[in-house]
Amino acid sequence: MSRWFVGLAGAFALAGPMSVMAKPIAFADGYTVMAEYGAGTMKEAQLFYAPRYDFSVGGGHVELNSDETAKSRRINYARLNYLVHRWNLDDAQANVFAWGGLGSATGNTFSGTLLAENAGAQADYETRRVYGSLKTDLQRSSAFSHRIDTLQLGLAPYKHEYGGVATWFLVQARQYTGGIHHGTESAVLLRLFKGGAWIEAGVTNGGKLQAMAMFNF
Amino acid sequence: MKSLPRVLISLLLLASAPAHAVTIEMSVNGLVCAFCAQGIEKQLRKFPATADVIVSLEQKLVAVALKDGQDIPDTELRRALTNAGYTVKTIERTPTPLAELRERLNKGKP
Repeated sequence: MSRWFVGLAGAFALAGPMSVMAKPIAFADGYTVMAEYGAGTMKEAQLFYAPRYDFSVGGGHVELNSDETAKSRRINYARLNYLVHRWNLDDAQANVFAWGGLGSATGNTFSGTLLAENAGAQADYETRRVYGSLKTDLQRSSAFSHRIDTLQLGLAPYKHEYGGVATWFLVQARQYTGGIHHGTESAVLLRLFKGGAWIEAGVTNGGKLQAMAMFNF
Repeated sequence: MKSLPRVLISLLLLASAPAHAVTIEMSVNGLVCAFCAQGIEKQLRKFPATADVIVSLEQKLVAVALKDGQDIPDTELRRALTNAGYTVKTIERTPTPLAELRERLNKGKP
């Protein structure tokens, strides 16, 4: 697993600072709760606690349901997220995160419960009007290997202020490996956040719902 | 007579410092997302000397109103902002009440 972990983190570090705003680490002594519905093929819920600003621990549950075959996976995992580097610039912030964890998996193409390994990385760059993010997340066991790669690009129609409502328009492109979805799934999304609450929703090119909610406290 | 220069220097230093610093103004880098900046308030409100906090993304400013006669050391302020995920550029103590600063920020003035 360490080979993937280093490889993925390195690949995204080399890709340069892109951006995603859904960060796996909120702030020191902060919690992040996240739930995502990914067009019927992916459902995920996560809870993380950050003892420091540069790492968080927690766990999650992800369900993968192939829209090509009847293949399904149910994975529970414990995970450690690490802030590899942060650039606090005059008018922007950029980050590189990496994570890894272990869990258990069940599915309908194998019997019993298997040890599951999780590794991923995320790079993001954002200003008050523009952002981009690139994220990769790998779930594997002795019976399967699924990687979900997600690119998001966003524009804000106005510069939000602290205490106000932020509005973002996004395009998202996502690819799954391991027979979950064939080709690139694209989506258009509307993201709103205020205080420590964040919601986003949209529709994919297949006409399915893509939605996410997140809370920091 | 030898002590006169020292006295003069002390008087000059006193004159250059705000008479009653009631607000700490910090210029902060990386302040672009209100959702991510929630931790700033959480960290700064932990200090017993904090009366109130305001954050301005437009001015890249974080301001702390101090309780009467109290202060927060710069090292603690920098640590709090680091814990929130940000980098402090400058720290300045002013006699400007936070309400006045808030009004100025609402009018879009730095």
